[in-house]
Amino acid sequence: MTARNPHPLDLAPDDLDRPFWEGCRRHEFLLQRSSITGRYHWPAVCDPEAGRDGMEWVRASGRGTVHTYSIIHQVFRPELAERVPYNVVVIELDEGPFFHSNLVDCSNDEIQIGMAVEVVFEDVSDEVTLPRFRPASRPPGNASG
Amino acid sequence: MAQLKGATCAIVGVGVTQQGRNLDIPERELRRQALDLALEDAGLGRADIDGYLACHGGVAFEDLRFLGLGPLFSWSLASGGASAISALIVARGVLALGQATHVALCYGFAPSQFRSGSGIGGFGYGYPELFGMVGPSTSHALHAQRHMHLHGTTSEQLGAVAVTQRAYAAKRPGTLGFGKPITLDDHQRSRMICDPLRLLDCCRDTDGGVCVIVTTADRARDLRAAPVRVLGTGTGHNIRNWYDKSVYEHHDDIAPAKARAFGEAGIGLDAVDVAEFYDPFTISVIMQLEEYGFCAPGEGGPFVAAGETGPGGRVPTNTGGGQLSGYYATGFTALVEAIRQLRGEGGATQVAGAEVGLVSGHGGNGGVQNTWAHATALLGAGL
Repeated sequence: MTARNPHPLDLAPDDLDRPFWEGCRRHEFLLQRSSITGRYHWPAVCDPEAGRDGMEWVRASGRGTVHTYSIIHQVFRPELAERVPYNVVVIELDEGPFFHSNLVDCSNDEIQIGMAVEVVFEDVSDEVTLPRFRPASRPPGNASG
Repeated sequence: MAQLKGATCAIVGVGVTQQGRNLDIPERELRRQALDLALEDAGLGRADIDGYLACHGGVAFEDLRFLGLGPLFSWSLASGGASAISALIVARGVLALGQATHVALCYGFAPSQFRSGSGIGGFGYGYPELFGMVGPSTSHALHAQRHMHLHGTTSEQLGAVAVTQRAYAAKRPGTLGFGKPITLDDHQRSRMICDPLRLLDCCRDTDGGVCVIVTTADRARDLRAAPVRVLGTGTGHNIRNWYDKSVYEHHDDIAPAKARAFGEAGIGLDAVDVAEFYDPFTISVIMQLEEYGFCAPGEGGPFVAAGETGPGGRVPTNTGGGQLSGYYATGFTALVEAIRQLRGEGGATQVAGAEVGLVSGHGGNGGVQNTWAHATALLGAGL
């Protein structure tokens, strides 16, 4: 494991999100869903109405739109030096939750709020697969921007 | 709301140490220096302090022994840049309940001892760090980008915040920006940190200590310093905006904090003579001006560019340079500057006749968005 690719669970306080990261290794994009309210969540949480009961990990579309973003020029970690400038995007998933990731197959200049994106899985090591996003192959839907 | 006996509180002592980069002074010694300055200011002794609130983010087990204090309680209050006002709220409570008579809010932090380089914070947590999302400048840039998208806010308008506040700091001895005014061109030429935030959109960590002593209004009458009354306080938490997905369109959950504080004070926005906002980044000032209602939503950029936050403007804001150009004392910067203005100690940037000051705090790096906590305080000159 190199410093460039920390294990997601190294950054998590516990392994409650483990099913999500295991899903990524299978190239499946999962979200938590409350079977009581039908609301989707990421990361693992209690539903504000229904609590922890009825929460389940389910396959999600892996699609959404860019809600906001930044292009990072500052080197905050030595291991990020060769990546600058890189983008960080907040995606509003079609199911509702926000997801923070990077946009690939798209230059930083082309990123726009409201653009439709879809997940692409990158196996960065034997243990870790990261969900990044690329411009969607479908025409933009009616999601808000 | 029924007022408890003695619920009117006043700030009767303030101590501010040297503030700057690489001071090479231990954090608890910064707190000791600030405490002694505040005691001297108030005309109080160590034995008078029977409540201690540690506002530096850590647990304060060792503070009291080093400081030579013997209070009835010592509590750590860790809400990032909202800690100072949050501690003020706790102090109001314990004073109203008669649990203490003089409460010291103490802060001392020396980030340059463990963070080298730019002094731009690099703290992060949680899964976004896998994607290179590190530090509050990144998280605030997400709000700035969205604000530009929705309202047409420009980099030059962000720059107007930096230039205006630097102009205040340039006239304020002891600040990072003292004697060093900047131009909009300097801002536009400063290197990009997290687009759209440039270097001069960001504040820097500084080392320093601050202590504020709070007591009841009746005791405040007999003390040495000109008292500053706490007119009202309130809080709000960004988790509410997270749930409804408006989090990037707000600076914080300001509405309930504002309503509570102004309701307690029984005043409106037009009574505010100076605004001292928590300002880690220029966008923070623009968004807070809007959310507190000094201008319409989306109008914060033009409002600042028109000089409305400068001397003689509609609401002189961050009149000591703020965190951007003054010093970064994690929420105490704004509180201290409001106290200075209401005591008439603002020197070259004193707002004539300032009687009511608005102070905000904003804290707890969100990791996913700017921060979590917001706190509002309204302070008034005299008793």
